[in-house]
Amino acid sequence: MNSQPRIFALVTEAFGGRGGIAQYNRDLMSALASSKPGWTIVILPRTAPDPVVIPSGRIEQRQARTGRVAYTMAALRVALSKPIDIVFCGHLYMAPLAAFVAWFKGAKLVIQTHGIEAWPRPSGLRQYALAAANLVLSVSRYTRSSVLGWATIAPERVVVLPNTVGADFAPGRSGLQAEWNLEGKRVLLTVGRMDKRERYKGQDRIIAAIPQLVAKGHEVAYVVIGEGDDVKRLQSLAQQTGVADRVRFAGAVGPQALIDAYRMADLFVMPSTGEGFGIAFLEAMATGTPALGLPDAGARDALAEGELGAVSSNGDLAAAIARCLDAPRQDPEALSAAVRARFGYNGFRTRVGAIFETLVQPA
Amino acid sequence: MCGINGIFSFHSASSMPREAELLKTRDAMRARGPDGFGSWWSTDRRCALAHRRLSILDLSDRASQPMVSEDGRLAVTFNGEIYNYPALRAELASSGVRFRTTSDTEMLLHLYARLGEAMVHRLRGMFAFAIWDGMRQGLFLARDPYGIKPLYTANDGWTFRFASQVKALLAGERVSRDPEPAGIVGFHLFGSVPEPFTLYREIRSLPAGHTQWIDAVGPREPKSFANLAALLAQGAFAPAPAAELSERVRKGVADSVRIHLLADVEVGVFLSAGVDSGALLGLMRDAGVQEIRALTLAFEEFSGTAEDESPLAARLAHRYQARHVVRQVGEQEFREDLNAILEAMDQPSIDGVNTWFVAKAAKEAGLKVALSGLGGDELLAGYPSFFELPRWRRRFGPLASVPGLGPLTRALLRALAPGFARRRPKALGVLEYAGSWAGAYLLRRGLYLPWELPQIMDPELACEGLRRLKPLRAIDGHLNPDPGSDTGRICALESANYLRNQLLRDADWAGMAHGIEIRVPLVDAELLRVLAPSIVNLTPGAGKVALARAPSLPLPDEIVARAKTGFGVPTGAWMNAAVAGTSDAVGRAPETKGLASRRWSRAVLKSASAASPAHKMQAA
Repeated sequence: MNSQPRIFALVTEAFGGRGGIAQYNRDLMSALASSKPGWTIVILPRTAPDPVVIPSGRIEQRQARTGRVAYTMAALRVALSKPIDIVFCGHLYMAPLAAFVAWFKGAKLVIQTHGIEAWPRPSGLRQYALAAANLVLSVSRYTRSSVLGWATIAPERVVVLPNTVGADFAPGRSGLQAEWNLEGKRVLLTVGRMDKRERYKGQDRIIAAIPQLVAKGHEVAYVVIGEGDDVKRLQSLAQQTGVADRVRFAGAVGPQALIDAYRMADLFVMPSTGEGFGIAFLEAMATGTPALGLPDAGARDALAEGELGAVSSNGDLAAAIARCLDAPRQDPEALSAAVRARFGYNGFRTRVGAIFETLVQPA
Repeated sequence: MCGINGIFSFHSASSMPREAELLKTRDAMRARGPDGFGSWWSTDRRCALAHRRLSILDLSDRASQPMVSEDGRLAVTFNGEIYNYPALRAELASSGVRFRTTSDTEMLLHLYARLGEAMVHRLRGMFAFAIWDGMRQGLFLARDPYGIKPLYTANDGWTFRFASQVKALLAGERVSRDPEPAGIVGFHLFGSVPEPFTLYREIRSLPAGHTQWIDAVGPREPKSFANLAALLAQGAFAPAPAAELSERVRKGVADSVRIHLLADVEVGVFLSAGVDSGALLGLMRDAGVQEIRALTLAFEEFSGTAEDESPLAARLAHRYQARHVVRQVGEQEFREDLNAILEAMDQPSIDGVNTWFVAKAAKEAGLKVALSGLGGDELLAGYPSFFELPRWRRRFGPLASVPGLGPLTRALLRALAPGFARRRPKALGVLEYAGSWAGAYLLRRGLYLPWELPQIMDPELACEGLRRLKPLRAIDGHLNPDPGSDTGRICALESANYLRNQLLRDADWAGMAHGIEIRVPLVDAELLRVLAPSIVNLTPGAGKVALARAPSLPLPDEIVARAKTGFGVPTGAWMNAAVAGTSDAVGRAPETKGLASRRWSRAVLKSASAASPAHKMQAA
């Protein structure tokens, strides 16, 4: 293989995109460009709703193509016009197209697996594409294990590359508590989409736990950040439970407000059963806020099995929250440093470089 | 025989290895190494190695493991014996290497320091080891060409673990028990779990003749350094005249026996009335061993009958002036030991009971090391498969190539002759499988055939297991490159399947349970290389005759003649009786050995499943 490989990245979104997958792709491409001098990357996204800011001259992002046909045609045009040594596929849905491009160009194939899309056995074509991969990246051990449950691929080819957390997420002061009239309250926080089809993040369980917490003397308020078509149901639930005055649905917030919200919170809690990884846990703990989750799916990794964040396996969420609120507050700087030691960008960058280097080493 | 294990937290996100887990895994292998134990941690505490020791070479504490190089860069944990250790040691010493011990373990450290991963090409013996390389910040694993010594690994994506036993890895309580359908299906097909699979998805065997490197990225795919089919193919490229057979066998086996005697403790021999063990005994005498203890099992059921091996074994012992120890075994003792046998089985196996008792006898005799004639039938065409497989291929191969004929014939036979189909289930598969070497081999060795599986286990699990195992492709993989002759192909198939996954593994767990190191001079890659040019034209029977003549005082003719008819062992009947009371039992009703093995296999798997109650391994 060329010692300075050309990478073609087929992704749902990256620069100018929103959400966890876009962030992951941005981190990955940036890390690759900065750790491997001479390597070049062409990215073809499905969507890019926000302004596109490219961090390196060795990264080129093509115009987003939303439609399936238009996207496929654009991908084939790149394949016909450019030398390609590695095809990176950012989502299992695109794996058949990526596998075809890799086969057509005689290139190595890397497929990224995030979470729920890779847990159940996918269609035959996607299975076939994944079996052809030289490398599969999984965001967590749970996703890796799930992939190995259905894929016929050597386990050594499936490597865990977890999310990383940006330097902006650090301990500091927040003015949000006063701005949102939450002074004197112990603030619980969840950040995540509220989607009717998924409903695994567990905001409803937290709302249901609030009366018990209040009854035991915890003056709590619950802040929910995020959008989605399930918000109305959760608002109704808060009303029915009689805690609407304690629950604030903040909607989508900007990057600085998000950091301030983490800093404001006394406890980040997300009893999710379906996280691919759970980047929000990392962000919260990197700002020095303790986190609580379940030992399910990718959250186990983000919480480092209880070594970074608290893990509650029992069904009594209210008791688990109360325990966290009653516990002495961990030094925010120490918690942040511990998160960075495991998931910091420098380690991520080094790991990305080392993983991709295995593709160019002789067998 | 020792037990090795280790934990490497290779991922920057992972927690450091926990000492409690390291020691639990190590001490689950106490029986493998009753003479000592140790552990070692890397400076950053991300890698930990541990060891249970059975002292064979250099009995002093200096040779304890894990052993660290003088400069602290390397640490090794090692299970096995390097038989060409004296020569390698002399070579290293002559180039200025200073040794602190007289153990082969230290030699591994020096050889790795000099040659790196290429060191494995210089080793002759049975081995499984791990070397921590502090300079490269990685772990190097290797396993011998035949897979005599076991080595299991588990990678959860953050942390890499290894151990000599599957059950030891599970004892650490950090490895997933999620079932591996390919391992479960493989057990039903072969009566043993075919490597690299185990009953658990996260645990794999490092394949025989492979190395593996693990660093911060994680484990790389295992790399092959020795391939039995390639050795046979090289031999076929320059075949030896038939007249050379006897001399090659004599020289090759005598050399192998001689080097297998390397020990600082007494080496005994398991003696049946067959050619293989008899020849080993004769060659031990030729190698100059003065005091030899030979152990023979005698079964109460056979006492006074032609089936009893002990009188002929006694004559062999007398011929070669060995001290003969005859150990009587009866069904009562089998029943008493049954739970311990099932407990000691690291992975389920339909065999190994004989080895359990002979190893038990060796321990009672105070031995630590014994030679076994295992592997002689694979090496010298001693099995019926050497003439059956070519015959089946000739007779049924052309018909088997007709699309759809096999399944059609099977359906017709089941409809028209259901009694025959029940009694001879594998006969129904002849026209499906006899068309290829892999298919014919599966037909010969298979406990069940793939189409039978949905009747005895969850059909979905069976289907998934077959998809992941790809049994025919897996068997066929052992014929690459083509060994160049029918005998060579069957030698490769038997060695890489039945010998590796069944016999050697049984010898390991059954020997280990009694702290006995079982050495197998006829399972030696160098011996195979020497004999490969003769294997091309080897006719069934000729090899065993040559082996019988290998000692300077050859085996008596009656041993060679008797070997052709074989010996019975009553353990099959005991096993069948042991499952009496279950729905599988048929008591002592006369039946084929294959059907009895099927019943026993289900009882064994049930026992293994009981060890993992969270996961149902069979639904039938």
